[in-house]
Amino acid sequence: MEIKEQETDQCVIIGITGRLDTTSYSMLERKLMELIDSHHDKILVDCSKMDYISSSGLRILLMALKKITQMKGKFVLCCLQENIHEIFEISGFTSIFEIHLSREDALKVF
Amino acid sequence: MQTFQLILKNQIKELEKLAINVEELSVKWNIPTEIVMEINLVLEELFTNVVFYAYDDKMEHNIILDFVLIDEHHLKICLEDDGKPFNLLEKNMNSTLDKSIEDRQIGGLGIHFVRELMNSVDYKRTVDKNIVILMKNF
Repeated sequence: MEIKEQETDQCVIIGITGRLDTTSYSMLERKLMELIDSHHDKILVDCSKMDYISSSGLRILLMALKKITQMKGKFVLCCLQENIHEIFEISGFTSIFEIHLSREDALKVF
Repeated sequence: MQTFQLILKNQIKELEKLAINVEELSVKWNIPTEIVMEINLVLEELFTNVVFYAYDDKMEHNIILDFVLIDEHHLKICLEDDGKPFNLLEKNMNSTLDKSIEDRQIGGLGIHFVRELMNSVDYKRTVDKNIVILMKNF
């Protein structure tokens, strides 16, 4: 898995490439915690290049959503591949996460 | 009918080997890509459960996966470990899924995936082994 970070005027964009699974989730956890600890409360996760997610990966996203919601910030996802979206649906995560089809749409909410 | 056996050690780094083997097998057996992801996801959940919770000792154990392509649309997978008894079918996760974000517990999703993504899930306990039997139609 690779993580790309980009800071814009509106938010921090985290781009995930590859597999977010039990062997790689801690990398994302560290990155998100680093941002949260430095008071970044507007984060967009671009999932366009993420081709796999397991429950370990979902847990980290849920953890970040909870923390940022407590900070009254925004934690938004965009560009989920079709099979990843299916996993979010099965998890019931589509109703608790704000998910946008494109990065442009997602950036408008910040 | 075609069969394939994969033996993994009870170490998390073996997940990579699991994923690679499932991908290779899927090409060989013509299993569609979206199904491969579901199989990988379910096996990752079951395998990590065993690695994290099945053993109290620090010994090396084998986790055995038997893949059986029954016909061109039916796959059976048996996962066998010699850890503590654990019947995943006794865990009821559905009640946590409709909770709001504040009440959502972090964890427990894995078992839910196994039940949702497979066509059937069975569990057997022999004298010293847990056996999970999965069926996937595609």
